[in-house]
Amino acid sequence: MPEGAEQAFIEAVTSEHPELVEEAEVLRPKRVSIVAKREGFLDLARVLRDRFGFLHPVSAGAVDYLKEDRIQMIYYLMNPSSRFMLTLRVDLPRDEPSLPSMTQIWEAMSFHERETSEMFGIDFEGHPNMIPLLLPPDWKGGYPLRKDFEGEGAES
Amino acid sequence: MSEPEIKPDIMRVSWGPQHPMSGQTRILLDVDGEKVHRLIADLGFTHRGIEKIMENRTFLKGIIPIERMVMVDTANVGLCYVLAIEEALGVEAPERANWIRSMICEMARINSHLYAFGLQAEAAGYFPAVFLWTTVDREILLDLFERLTGARWSFNFFLPGGVSADLPEGFQDNVIEGVRYLRKRFAQYWVAMVENAIFEMRCEGVAVLKREDAIRLGATGPVLRGSGIDMDVRRDEPYAAYGDLDFKVITETESDSMARLKVRFHEIGQSLNMIEQVANEIPGGPLRTRVPLFARAKPGEVLSRVETARGELGIHMFTDGGMNPYRVKINSPSLRNMYVFERLAELDEILIADVPVVINSIDPWYLDSDR
Repeated sequence: MPEGAEQAFIEAVTSEHPELVEEAEVLRPKRVSIVAKREGFLDLARVLRDRFGFLHPVSAGAVDYLKEDRIQMIYYLMNPSSRFMLTLRVDLPRDEPSLPSMTQIWEAMSFHERETSEMFGIDFEGHPNMIPLLLPPDWKGGYPLRKDFEGEGAES
Repeated sequence: MSEPEIKPDIMRVSWGPQHPMSGQTRILLDVDGEKVHRLIADLGFTHRGIEKIMENRTFLKGIIPIERMVMVDTANVGLCYVLAIEEALGVEAPERANWIRSMICEMARINSHLYAFGLQAEAAGYFPAVFLWTTVDREILLDLFERLTGARWSFNFFLPGGVSADLPEGFQDNVIEGVRYLRKRFAQYWVAMVENAIFEMRCEGVAVLKREDAIRLGATGPVLRGSGIDMDVRRDEPYAAYGDLDFKVITETESDSMARLKVRFHEIGQSLNMIEQVANEIPGGPLRTRVPLFARAKPGEVLSRVETARGELGIHMFTDGGMNPYRVKINSPSLRNMYVFERLAELDEILIADVPVVINSIDPWYLDSDR
């Protein structure tokens, strides 16, 4: 892989689609982070897959920033030829987090979105099969990975 | 799990989680006669909330729960978290510690692949002796672990900044002896399993996962390499001593269940070479860089990646300046491969009798996928 491929990629994305990108940086070699705008997130995902070759989905998850009143959704993506890890992020409000489902772009995000949905309460619009992945079917205890989660267990 | 709808003229068979071959998961098979139309995995039976547990532990204490993720491969999983802590705290392990880490990780990989062979032989209805052979051969590795670390399975041997003990006296000789014995045994496994006509019939051409599908569905580890894609974190982003060790990334092009098994076979050969190289060439020097017991990391984030026996494990750790991580996101390889498994029935024709063979060729570890 040529040196500085990460930097070149970031420059290409931000110059071609400045309206979709909020912030882009190289965290360290082989780790690139893009914070996307919530509007047009699906378009950016499509561009990353079709134009920049991020064909290999790795995972997805979220982080709850209680003090800043936001949840950051993170998609982990890999380009099979340049081999660096892209974390594609988008900030969502804590009270009503919703996002179009990335299963339209990367089918394999299905399991990861199901998990994130039950753990953080994010609503993925257009997910084909939104049922709990890991928690019991009768779980009514709230969203376990949110920072204000208290209490435990399923209620009958 | 609320079950998806069943199409007309299709029967739904529920398999597991208490079936000896299914592991701790339930698989729903939509079948029409012998043919499987759809596979649905119902995960979560071993969900322990490790990601949440980690938020309430100091960095050091987190190593213990995370090793419970994959019991046959604790070394690689533990190392991934230790590497994340090291990067967050800005410390580096000395060279000798890195070599010891690589050796233990390769031993754990062999241990895990041996377990996979045994199960694959069972799944193929092939004589159950093979499972016992692999169990006995794993003893060699477990004894070496015990000698070095004091524990056979979950040894918490890696610490931020290095390893907790040096190699005991004569350990290198024991390792070389063990490697010689295992090499001899693998030649026998190859004849008994891979070249065996019955085993070939059960595995060859079963559940073909084409190259582009493997990429698109996010497969990882031997499943990805069995489809001809040459991706391995050990070579792409060398950690521990992998930058100095000689090894090849194994790929197979047939993309079927046999190809995935062959990848594991050849990977063991590479691992044995690496273990031998470490035993012969390990450099001297200190074992640990000092790290305070209750260290605080600067606010920020770290994403560490490690190639475990099942594929790429990623740990994304967020820190907020406290003694505990703020959030730990674990990108588990088994969860990725389980999604591939769900789709396999649509990509290739699978019969009911093939399902155990297929799931063991994927080699998921449910404690890993459920976390």
